[in-house]
Amino acid sequence: MKKIFLILFLIFSATFFHPAFALLSMELTQGMAGALPISVVPFVNQAEMPQDVAGIIGHDLQNCGRFKVYSANALPSYPGDVHEVKFDFFRGLGVDNIVIGKVQAVGGGRYQVSFQLIDALRDKESAKASAILLSQKFVVSASELRPLAHHISDLVYQKLTGIRGIFSTRIAYILVQRSDDSAVPTRYILEVSDQDGYNPRPLLTSTDPIMSPAWSPNGRQIAYVSFENQRSSIYIEDVASGTRRSVSQFDGINGAPAWSPDGKKLALVLSKSGSPNIYVMDLISKQLTQLTHDYYINTEPAWAPNGKTLIFTSNRSGGSHPQVYQLNPATRAVSRLSYDGDYNARPAFSPDGNRVVMLHRSAGLFNVGLLDLDSGVLNVLTNSGSNNESPSMAPNGSMILFGTEYQGRNVLSMISTDGRVQVRLPARNGEVQDPAWSPFLS
Amino acid sequence: MTFKRLVQTLVICCGILAVAACSKNKCQTPCNPCATGPCMAEAEASGAGQGSSFGGGEGMNAEQLCAKRTYYFDFDQDVIHPDDQAAISANANKIACNPHVKVLLEGHTDPRGSREYNVGLGERRAKAVKELLESKGVSPSQIRIVSYGSERPAAQGCTEDAYALDRRVVLVYLK
Repeated sequence: MKKIFLILFLIFSATFFHPAFALLSMELTQGMAGALPISVVPFVNQAEMPQDVAGIIGHDLQNCGRFKVYSANALPSYPGDVHEVKFDFFRGLGVDNIVIGKVQAVGGGRYQVSFQLIDALRDKESAKASAILLSQKFVVSASELRPLAHHISDLVYQKLTGIRGIFSTRIAYILVQRSDDSAVPTRYILEVSDQDGYNPRPLLTSTDPIMSPAWSPNGRQIAYVSFENQRSSIYIEDVASGTRRSVSQFDGINGAPAWSPDGKKLALVLSKSGSPNIYVMDLISKQLTQLTHDYYINTEPAWAPNGKTLIFTSNRSGGSHPQVYQLNPATRAVSRLSYDGDYNARPAFSPDGNRVVMLHRSAGLFNVGLLDLDSGVLNVLTNSGSNNESPSMAPNGSMILFGTEYQGRNVLSMISTDGRVQVRLPARNGEVQDPAWSPFLS
Repeated sequence: MTFKRLVQTLVICCGILAVAACSKNKCQTPCNPCATGPCMAEAEASGAGQGSSFGGGEGMNAEQLCAKRTYYFDFDQDVIHPDDQAAISANANKIACNPHVKVLLEGHTDPRGSREYNVGLGERRAKAVKELLESKGVSPSQIRIVSYGSERPAAQGCTEDAYALDRRVVLVYLK
C-alpha cells in the first residue's frame, strides 16, 4: 500500500513540480538527395503571434528530409496572398513551391490564419491565381496555433508527395534518468510528445522500469508494462486524463501488449504456463485465448492490419536465436518469415500490410531491417553497430522510429523506409528508449 | 500431581514438541532440527569435493557462501556456472531451513537485442536458479521470479566486461 502512495506521489510531483521532461531535439543527420526545394515565407503579422507558424512549418518540412527549405528573409516585405508574390525572386532561389500566409488577431484570444501553397513555376501575369495549389483559412485560439501549423505541414506534404503527413502525430517513449550517486534510484518516465519532441508530458514516473508502450488504434490510450511492486504488470492508461487500470498481473511474465486493429483485444505475453507464450485478451470480458503452447520463448506479438494474423518473435527454430514468425489464430498455422541473419525480433507490419519492420542482426550488428513480404527480400536500413532496438513505424509507412546509441547514450532516431533520410532525437535530460509512434490522431 | 504423572506429562510434551519440530522443517536431514537463522553449508562443503573444482566454494565458509547472491551467466546462456553451485546450495539450505522465508529471483540480461525477448531470456536464467534451489529442498511457494530483461543493467558502458556484469540472477531475501 505504501508503494502505491509513493508512486502516486511521484506521479503527482512529476506532473506539478518537476519539469522532468525529455525535451527531445530533432537533428536531421541525412536528407534526401532529391529533396523538393520549397520556400516557407514568414507569415504577414507573424510577430504579433505567440507562435511562429511559418517557422514550425519550415521546420517540419526540412526535418522530414524530403524537402529543402529555402529562406525568404531577403524579401523586403512578405506576401500574404498570391497576387503579392514576386515570382522572379523565388525562381532565383530555385524553389518549386512557396508557402505564404497571414495572421490576424480577431479578439478573444483567437487568431485568423490563412495560408496558400503556390506553384513557383506556374506564373502567368494574367492569371496568378492559377498558381495556387492550396488555399485555406482557419480561426483558432493561441494554444491551437502550433497544432494548426503542423496541420498545414500535413496539407502541404500530402499535396506535394501524395502521402498523408505525420506532423500531427505523437510519440511515446521511456525517459531514463540515472544518477551518478548510487544512493539515488534511477527514474523511469513514460512520456508522450509531439512527433518533433515538443510538448512532452509524463504519463507515469517510477523508480521501477517501464517498457513496451503501445498506442491504442484511436490514439487515446497507451498500454505498457510496469515493474512496480517488483513484478511485471500490464496497464492501460488514458492519455488525456492519466487514469489507468491494470489488465494483466499473472504470475511470471506479463509483457509485450499489442492492440488489435479494432481496439477490442490485446495480444500479450504470459509465462504462467511455464514459459512465455502468446495470448489474446478480450478487453471487455477479460477472457484469455492462448495462441502458442510450447516451451520456447514466444514474445512480441503484432497484428496484421486486417486483424486476421499475428507476427511474433520466437526461438523455436532451435538454438538461442529468435526469428520472426506469422501465426493464424483461426487455423493455428505458424510459418517462419525471417531467414536473413541469425537474429530477427520485434516485428511490426507496415500500414499496407506488405512489409514487416524488425530488429535484425547479422555479422554481430543489430540494425533495423525491412522485409518485403512479396519478394522475401530484407533491406537493412541502418548500418551502425550502435545497439539499435525497438523499431516503430509511422502511421503513413514512410518513417521508422527506433532506439539507438549516440555518444554513449540511448537516444531516439528516425529513418525513412527507403533509408535515405535520417533524423536523431536526443534528450536533453536523460536517455530515451523503447519508442512507439502514435496512429493518425483526429 | 505425583512425580510419576509429572514425568509422563513431560515425556508427552517433549514428544509433541519433537513431532511438531520435525513436521515444520523441510531439511534433508531427518528431524535433526536445523538451526534457525545461520546458513548451514557443511553438507555442501563436504560434497564440494566431488570431482570438479568449485572455485567459489573452496575456502569459503557458510556465511560467505550465503552472502554470494549474484550469479553470472555467459552470453545467450541460462546454464548455472559451476562456480556458483556452492553458493546457491548454501542459500538453498538456509531458505529450506526457514520455511517462513521468501525469496525473489531477479533475472537480467545484457542490453543487446530486443527488450521483450530479453525478458524471456532473463526468466530462463532465474528459473535455472529456482530449479536448483528446489532440488535442494526449497519449497516452490518460497520462491518468486521476476525478469527485468535488459531494463536494469548493472553496469553502464558497451564493453564486453560491462555486458558480462549485466547477465545475472540476483537472489533477494524478501522482508
